[in-house]
Formats: sequence, C-alpha cells, structure tokens
Amino acid sequence: MLQKAQWSKEILDKVPSNLRSDYWIGIAKRARIFYYSPERVSKSDLENLTYESLADKKWKGRIVIRKSDNIYNQSLVASLIENNGKDKTIKWAKSFVNNMARSPKGNDRAQILAVAAGEADIAVANTYYYALMLSGQKGEEQKLAAKKVLPYFPNQNDRGVHMNISGASLLKFSPNKNNAIKLIDFLLTKEAQEHIVNNTFEYPMADDVLPNKLVPGNDLNFKQDNNTDVKIYWDKQKEALKIMLSSGWK
Amino acid sequence: MRLNFWFISSFFISLVVAIPIFTVFTSFFENTINSYEIFKDSFLYEYIFNSLVLLIGVLILTLIIGTSCAYLVSFYNFFGSNFFKWALILSFAVPAYIYAYSLTAFFENYGTLYSILKNLFGEGNYNQYIPKFDGMFGAIISISFSLFGYVYVLTRASFHYQSENLIEIGKNLGFSKKKSLFSIILPSARPAIVAGLSLVAMETLSDFGAVSFFGISTLTTGIYNSWVSLDDLAFANQLSFFLLIFILALFLIENLSRKKAQYHSPSRGGLKKKKKTNLYGIKAFLAFLICSIVFIASFIFPVVQMLYWTIIFPENFINLNIKQLIINSFYLIFFTSLILLVFSFLSNYGNRITRSKILNSFATFSITGYAIPGIILAVACITFISWLDNSISQFFEFKSLKKIFIGSIFGLVIVYFIRFYSLAFNGIKSGYQRINRSVDENSYLLGYSKFKTFFEIHIPYLKNSIFLIGILITIEVIKELPITLILRPFNFETFATTAYVFASQDLLEAAAVPSLFLILIASTFILITSKYILKD
Repeated sequence: MLQKAQWSKEILDKVPSNLRSDYWIGIAKRARIFYYSPERVSKSDLENLTYESLADKKWKGRIVIRKSDNIYNQSLVASLIENNGKDKTIKWAKSFVNNMARSPKGNDRAQILAVAAGEADIAVANTYYYALMLSGQKGEEQKLAAKKVLPYFPNQNDRGVHMNISGASLLKFSPNKNNAIKLIDFLLTKEAQEHIVNNTFEYPMADDVLPNKLVPGNDLNFKQDNNTDVKIYWDKQKEALKIMLSSGWK
Repeated sequence: MRLNFWFISSFFISLVVAIPIFTVFTSFFENTINSYEIFKDSFLYEYIFNSLVLLIGVLILTLIIGTSCAYLVSFYNFFGSNFFKWALILSFAVPAYIYAYSLTAFFENYGTLYSILKNLFGEGNYNQYIPKFDGMFGAIISISFSLFGYVYVLTRASFHYQSENLIEIGKNLGFSKKKSLFSIILPSARPAIVAGLSLVAMETLSDFGAVSFFGISTLTTGIYNSWVSLDDLAFANQLSFFLLIFILALFLIENLSRKKAQYHSPSRGGLKKKKKTNLYGIKAFLAFLICSIVFIASFIFPVVQMLYWTIIFPENFINLNIKQLIINSFYLIFFTSLILLVFSFLSNYGNRITRSKILNSFATFSITGYAIPGIILAVACITFISWLDNSISQFFEFKSLKKIFIGSIFGLVIVYFIRFYSLAFNGIKSGYQRINRSVDENSYLLGYSKFKTFFEIHIPYLKNSIFLIGILITIEVIKELPITLILRPFNFETFATTAYVFASQDLLEAAAVPSLFLILIASTFILITSKYILKD
C-alpha cells in the first residue's frame, strides 16, 4: 500500500533512526506513561516503577488501562515482547490483567478520570491526553480532575519510557510523489512543528522546537526509549494482541 | 415456469444483492493466517455468546417498549396521547453510537450528571454514587432506545389496520381488556411485530459503533479485530459467515411462524373506525408516564446532551462546514431512495405475479445482506469488483471498472442499495400482503394489463408504504457509518463520518455538532411526513 521514499538528508538528521523506515517517517512523538493518585500511591511505590513492575502483586486491583484492541496498547506490548521476550511477556500480561481495577473500557482520558474519581490508583495513558484535559478544552470538570493525578515516567533507570509516533508516508500509487515529499519536509520545519506541538500536545521531532507547556515532561528531561525500533510495533502487533487476548485482557 | 420480464428482472436484482453474501460464503473456505485456530478455541464462543446476549437483551427491551407504546397510543386517549403518537418515532433519528456517546458523557466520572450535582449541591464525591451505564448493559440500552421505533411504527400501523370487528367479537364473547389484548390484538399484529423485531435483530447484530465503544467482544468487534489488527480478512469473513447463519435462522423462524396465517384485512365490509377508550385518573397518568419516559430517554436525553456540548464548546460549531455536509447527505439520500424503491417494486411485483417459490426463497435469501456488517459489506464489494476487474478486463478493453465503483458516489449508492435492500423490499412486501390477491385478479378481469395494474392499483394502494420506506431509507443513509467511511470519495464527508472522525480522535465534544445536526435533520424529516405515516 505504501511506497519507498528517499528521505532528504535534513529529514534523516532530524528523525532518529528508530522512529522511521524506508516507508514512513515520524513527524511527532508521544510517550505512554503512568498517572497516579498522590493520595493513594506512596513515594516508595513509585521508586523505579516500570511497565514490567506493574505486574507486581502490590498493584492488584489498582490499575486501569484501555482495551486490548487499542493500538497504543498493542504497540506497548509489542515493545515488551521485543525487549523481554515472548515468554516473559505472556507471564507479565497474565499478572498485569490480574491487577486491573476493572474490565478495560473507555479511552485514555477515561483512565485518567478513573484515577481522579478513586476507581483506581494508577492509569496508563498517552502524554497528550493529560495536556488536553489541563488545557480546559475538555471542560472545567476535567481540568480539575486532571489536577488530582500526577504523571509518572516509567523505566527511567533502564531503556526509557515507551515512545510512539505520529507519522507520514507515501501511498503506493501516489500521483504527486515530489510534492508529497515536500509536504513531509515542511511538516518537519520549525514552523509546522510549532503548530503541531501546540495543537496536538505531542512532543516535537525537531530539536529547535519545545513541547507545549501543559504536556508532562515539557522540559524533555526524561529518558526516552530510543533503541526499540518503532517498526517492531507493527511486526509484533499480531503477537501482542494474541498474548493480550489470551491472558484475558478484554 | 414462464420466463418473462418480471421474472428476469427480479431474479437479476436478487442476484446483485446476493453477491456479497456469496463473497462471504466463498471466503469461508479460504485459508486464514493461523489466527483462526487460536481464536476458534478461545474466542469464537465468547463472540457468539456476547452477540446472543446483546440480541436477546435488545429484542426483549424493544418488544416491550415498542409494543406497549404502540398499544397505548392506538387504543387509548390520555393526556399527550396524540403528541406521543408521532413524538415516539423521533427516536429513529438517534443512531446507537451517538446514544452511546451521550450515555457515557452524562454518567461518566466528572460527566454531565456530576456537573449538575456539583452545581446543585456543591463539591462532593458524586462519582461513586452515579450509576455507570457501560459494558453490555450500556450497549443494550443504547441499541434498544435507538431501534425500538421499528417495532413501534410497524406494530402501530398494524393496530391501526386491525378491524374493530375482531375486537367487538371479543367483547361479545365477554373477553376482558387483557384477554382481548393477548388473544386478539397482539396475535393479529404478529407479522408486524415479527417484521419489526427482525429489523431490530439485524441492526443489533451488525452494530459496530456502540458495542465497540462499550468494549464488548461480539462477532462484529471480532471481525474488526481480526481484519484491522490481525490483517486476516479471511477470518473476518468467516466470522461474518456465522453472523449470516444467525440471520438466516431468524428469517426461517419468521417465515415459518407466518406460513399458516393469512393476515389480509378483509376486503368486504371495510374498516370500521376504532373507538379509542378514554383513560382517567391513575391509569391516564401511568400511560402518560410510560410514554414520556420512553420519549425523554430515547430522544430528549441525547439531543440535550449534544446541545449542551455544542453550547459549552461553541468553537466546534463555528469551525464546521455544515452546508457542504447537508448537500452531501441529501445527494446520497436522493439517489439511494430512488433506486431502492424502483428495484424493490420490480422484485416484489415480479414475485407476486410469477408466484414462483424459487424466486421467493431467493429473494428471502438475498435480503439477509442487511445483516452483513457494513464494514464487511464494503470490503466484500471491493473484493468482488477487483475480481471482476481482473477477470473481465482481460476479455474487454475496459480497464477502469474499479474507478467507477470504488471511491465514487456511484459505488457508494450501490452498496447502500445492497445494505438497505431488505428495508425497502420488506416494506413493499408487507404492503403487498395487505392487498388481497383477488384485487389483482379483479383488475385483470376488468382488462387491465399487468403494468396498468401495477401503476394504477398497486402504487396508490402502497403510497403509505412508499413514504414510510422513504423515511426509513433517509434515516438509515444519514446515520450510516462504516460503508460511507470506507467507500466515500476523498474529501466527501457526511454528518456520520464527521462525527466518527472526531469521536475517534477523542474529540467527543466536537462530534456533538455533526451528531446534533444529524439528529435534527432526521427528526425534521420524520416530522414533515409523520402525519402521513401515522394517518388515521
């Protein structure tokens, strides 16, 4: 469906190699992080917290996350398969599902709201949703609710937090290939990146642009997983879904 | 069996409609990418079980809501009874997925109800006391309130055409009100109730928007998962195959249950106008209460929730190109209604005058295409056109078959045609069942040709059916989501696709504006013609 593209040198310099392929290229980034209730989660609980350690028994009945058919979750589990191996991920998924506070439902924001409302202690959701809630675009109640939880960046002492991209690519039979590449070039300029960052609340791909102030980690002072290749999110997606479904992740 | 124009044309229509079903059936035997074994063992039963629970829940709820409202407004006078008679059909205007959005928005943590409570009583931890309408329960509620209208309209129409004579016979035999309801009124309305319920059943089984929103693993979400996430179209088609089996079973039940009964209104003696009973006191209040709860829950609630969002987030209203969306929607509605009406008349009339059992069972088979989830129907048509393109273009110098059908209005309307064929076909069919065959015979005896009988006898007789079908098609097309999403030309949006695109970006507030317009346009259309549908 897609065609190979020759990315310009500028693009190759801007976009880390794990966030692009010959077929597509990342134009903005997001992290999948934790949101916790400062009232119910202690500092010691948070120490060295990782995706892996959410399978610990102490989190039983305290975690909320959306369904397994969600692509963010499939990518996250694909990354776990890549980094920890299939067998460990199967074990992890079973314990993780046991720790869920409720049968998965709702979108990422609903998970954050569930922690705010006291249904759970920790939620897994993407970074830009939290900023969206803080911005007031979702109404006053959600803004207040967002302030009841705090963001947490997991896996800071090992490979870094799970990153994903918004990307662009060329369709196989695209009639205006040159213009398409020019558009992608433009999307990575400072001007376009600033627009993207302030409207989607994602992290910029270009170094000369800062994230929006409402986004957690807007100083970019956190460790990103820059080694896991985003390509494997697709390669291992089916495997990830099967592991999730067979461990009872609805 | 004589081969004539009617036979050939109705055979041909049934064939076109049956194409996607054949595509699904043939794909059933294709190899799948390993996933089948894994899914078959652990999930197939869960999908089927959940689909059945959903189906049974919705059927029970729509049967109760639809027939009780129809009964109350048809046989009794009470405060508001004339208002409810037409107001209840407004529920048609709210698609199940929009109902689901409203239900969630109102009852979710920090949702609308929370805001109301907070504004009334000040700060408090209301979230834990607010009931959560989600999961299977939420889906059953959403789908039932958006679909009970089918049962209501068809049952009410049937009550209206019921002869007062029958009820008077019951009275003469000393039947109580309750006894005449269960022994006369409901049994003689059975074809209408069953027709309404089978429409509800088909819609329920192919619903994707509401069940996926509430996170229930049904056959449709299974199809979606295996297609989109596992890239296994063959397995998706195999799951559709199971859906089709369900539907076919429903149709067999419907046909068998009707087989022995004749439900024509008597042609002699005419219709005696029914006298409605006046209700007073507590009984009148109860009737009013039931109808107003159904009306408020099914229509006022989602409209107010969407309106509330539109008012507190006005920028979404300002940024939407509403005029273009209106033009696009009506363009589609016009062409779809036109071809559906023309062709379902052809097919029905063909069936009626040839009286061919083969043709009749073939038509019954072909209308099950309605049950194929729109998403699969669109893909089946793409598969078929590609196949046709590859095989035909080898023999003819005709290279652009795909361009004509895929990503064009023409292709979209054809798939709508297949999807909504049963709606038009069944509507005309049940209309025809009310015209005694002796009417046709009299017409022939008087020297009318078959064409003249059709245009001068049947069409005037079936005017009500035509208008009702036109409305149902309009509502369906304006609410239709998956087919439009897949087959629409680039930059061609309807209210439904706009709402969906916003909702999928987690911008439910922005989805409120197109949803609200969708509901208002559909409601207006219902109101304009309500006097005609509900003509007494």
